[in-house]
Amino acid sequence: MSVPLLKIENLSATVGGKKVLKELSLEIKAGEVHAIMGPNGSGKSTLSYVLAGRPGYEITGGRVEFEGRDLTTLSPEERARAGLFLGFQYPVEIPGVNNVYLLKAALNARRKAQGLAEVDAYEFLQLVRVKMKLMQMDESFLSRGVNEGFSGGEKKRNEILQMLVIEPTLAVLDETDSGLDIDALKVVAKGVNSLRSADRGVLLITHYQRLLEHVVPDFVHVLVRGRIAKSGDKSLALELESRGYDWVLEVA
Amino acid sequence: MSAPALPTNRDENWRYANLRPLAKARLEGAPGSPGMSTNPIARKLAGFDRWYFSDGHFVEFDASPEARIRLLDARQAGESFAALLDSDLATAGVDFTLARINAARGNEVLQIELPDDSPPLNVELVYRAVTPAANGTSYPRVQIVAGRNTRLRVVEHHLTTGDVDAVVNASFDVALRPGASLDHVRLQNCSNASAVFDTLVAHVGEDAAYRLRTVTLGGLTSRSTAFIKLAGRNARCELTAASIANGNQTHDLFAEIEHIGAGSTTREIFRGIANERGKLAFNGKMIVRETALDADSDQSLKTLLTGNGAEAAARPQLEIHTDRVRAKHGATTGKLDEQMLFYLLSRGLDRPAAQALLQWAFIEDVISQIEPAALRGEIESQVAARLHSVAALPGLVGERT
Repeated sequence: MSVPLLKIENLSATVGGKKVLKELSLEIKAGEVHAIMGPNGSGKSTLSYVLAGRPGYEITGGRVEFEGRDLTTLSPEERARAGLFLGFQYPVEIPGVNNVYLLKAALNARRKAQGLAEVDAYEFLQLVRVKMKLMQMDESFLSRGVNEGFSGGEKKRNEILQMLVIEPTLAVLDETDSGLDIDALKVVAKGVNSLRSADRGVLLITHYQRLLEHVVPDFVHVLVRGRIAKSGDKSLALELESRGYDWVLEVA
Repeated sequence: MSAPALPTNRDENWRYANLRPLAKARLEGAPGSPGMSTNPIARKLAGFDRWYFSDGHFVEFDASPEARIRLLDARQAGESFAALLDSDLATAGVDFTLARINAARGNEVLQIELPDDSPPLNVELVYRAVTPAANGTSYPRVQIVAGRNTRLRVVEHHLTTGDVDAVVNASFDVALRPGASLDHVRLQNCSNASAVFDTLVAHVGEDAAYRLRTVTLGGLTSRSTAFIKLAGRNARCELTAASIANGNQTHDLFAEIEHIGAGSTTREIFRGIANERGKLAFNGKMIVRETALDADSDQSLKTLLTGNGAEAAARPQLEIHTDRVRAKHGATTGKLDEQMLFYLLSRGLDRPAAQALLQWAFIEDVISQIEPAALRGEIESQVAARLHSVAALPGLVGERT
């Protein structure tokens, strides 16, 4: 258990030529849930996209290792198959691609990479039904286009559903709580908690402390101007909630 | 018989067409093969009569006798059909040269005439071209009159035998009387060596509805020319067209829809994919006359380029002669949506599969509107077979949960 799930060392990255991440360092071990908070524009979403390998997000310095492998040499699909999952802040709608088709293709891509046999249609449906029940999603969502016509809350639940089906080793959830009412937030939190285990990690990116009441993190970090300005335990989130970010900006 | 002047790329509506095979074609009617096998295409659709043609010549039908479908000698058909129509469908000009050649050279005409208020009719037409270009041209010709308040469904299959370099010059005339409804599906899946041309002229009366769904997959060159006149009050037209051009195929569609009746409406959707060095063009011209008050037209034309040498042109044109009109149009030519692609990759799908899936989704936008479901399934299989990467995706086609 010596190799961390994710090890980021002095990571610098640019988007459209603009330097957004500046020598950021972070380490997540198996079994841990980390939360990254920070004001708008601090680089939270950029970090998630850099980890997932989105084109246009260029690494200019530092290292990122995922289970000891150099993550930056892997394509986005290789990262996903290796067990990295990104829950999007704004999941894209893909009319014409069946939700169930994507779920099954994603699961089988992951299983293939793990050296496991593909699931058959029956097994798959059994599995997906259990996960959908947990996410309180109607089965009619399966036959719809990916996120097509889904409400904001439904899209976020669909992200978590995908995560539960794929069972990644590390889930990076980018503002999965934004735009959710309190009931939907609890459902999403239940989904995330169900994935917690000794061999997985979660990185929650959020603006607000309220998600962290339901998914209690082991560590909380404050991202300011592209680097981690302060780290602490869950009490840091509460402090940020009551005092805002300004005091961290001052010490940063 | 002196040869009529063929259209050239200098003619306004023919700029994108590949006309070379036409110039070299032998205009004499191809002989057909009376003994051709009628089996090789999908099962007859339930509730449909099916007619088989070889090089445009009638071979046999798979149906109970139906007095409303007649096979006529081409020389009589022109007059008898003209007598059935309210307006002149015969039109002059270079756009109709091919239709005139068809009328002059073809031997047989299939006429479908539904008397007013007669029961619905469903017809499948299977046109197979079997003769190489050097030995003649196929001239399928269909004339349709749907009487008042009738409902007609017509499915056309255009095929070839093997890889034959057939030349097809088809002609389709449609007249819909008030309250009539025509669902017309046209699937062109000829060989990649063939040259397929068709001219369609439709006259849509008051409260009549014409739904035309075309799927163009085959042909080294394929050119469809459609003139649809929404003559009556509240006449409606839905035109959805899908086209896939691979290799060095050129597919060109020209559709002119003329709104004459007040409240006439059009919904036009085109989705085309050009792979490799394929070339695609859709030219959608909308005319709204002074009389067409409150006409409503909507065009959505999108093409996808997936090959480095691929070309596509989606051209909406509007010619509006009244202020009381709603006309919306959009046209895009582009590559796969990068955000969608990244989303699929981030779920572990490999790049070729993700790209294929997005191509499928793009074209499925129009294929999904085809009825009945059995026909849609058959067309989906043929579309998938044309998109090489899609064919490799397990369980995509026909999977409905």
